[in-house]
Amino acid sequence: MKSSDVLQRAAAAERPAPRASSTLKSRLFSALCDEQASSGPLMSLAHCKSAGGKLCVFEELVAISPIGEGLKSRNPCNVCHARLLGEHVENAPIYWPGCPYVQFQNR
Amino acid sequence: MKGSPEDLAPRRPPLSQVSDDLELARALLRKDRKATADFVEAYTDTVHAYVWRRLTPRTQVVDDIVQEVFLAAWRNLERYTGSGPLKSWLLGIARNKVEDHYRDVLGSAGLVDPHAGVEEILSEEIPQESLGEESIEDRTERIILMLPADYRMVLRWRYWDKRSAKEMADATGRTEKAIERLLARARDQFRRHWSEEGRS
Repeated sequence: MKSSDVLQRAAAAERPAPRASSTLKSRLFSALCDEQASSGPLMSLAHCKSAGGKLCVFEELVAISPIGEGLKSRNPCNVCHARLLGEHVENAPIYWPGCPYVQFQNR
Repeated sequence: MKGSPEDLAPRRPPLSQVSDDLELARALLRKDRKATADFVEAYTDTVHAYVWRRLTPRTQVVDDIVQEVFLAAWRNLERYTGSGPLKSWLLGIARNKVEDHYRDVLGSAGLVDPHAGVEEILSEEIPQESLGEESIEDRTERIILMLPADYRMVLRWRYWDKRSAKEMADATGRTEKAIERLLARARDQFRRHWSEEGRS
């Protein structure tokens, strides 16, 4: 058998690949949110919730706080330790519902 | 459509019920961060698998390119019309990013003299010894990982992405003859490793 035949045969086979790491997903999410925020405010948390999104406990607090819409449209994940853990620790010890960084954990 | 996050969004069902990729794309364009998280969760494994199959063992490069794919997708999302699955659209971007990487590596590599070493390549025949428990596909993958990056990439580009030598030459600014020689030498290295594995 020629080497080119062997290579063609191997290329045709769908090799199993590992899942993406949760740290990669976390970094992707953070990068996308930063990119979205660079061209204007994000959708407010209240509107995210009314669109069917589940807020985490910290986002709920921000959403009901008596602060301006401008602040509410910023990404509260930027100052959350869940982001730090999610981006740097695989299977991070974060568990609360509604947190995207919890959603990305492969468990 | 981008940049109007305060427009009231229609209720979005959980991702498991979302069959309309266009609706997810629209939610992203409204900068709905929950939709953004769903988008990442739904498609990262697929894009990562594609890039990993082409560029392993360069793990850091794989992660960097997956990130480039998602950022490019966001920047061009207004062009997504919903005429095909979002997954296919993303994989199209991934393919372009992987080919950009091939082009960078092969375009900057000092490719071998197209006339050098002709006499060294006597045969392209792979020895037909027993593989034992290992399949041809598994051994091929294992041996490809032993090759230098430029050999590995030119073989991936030719056989996995099915690009002709002319297409690769046009993309890298090399001559078709230089690419054919690189392919021949990469196959020769592959065959030599295969033979050595069979003897050991």
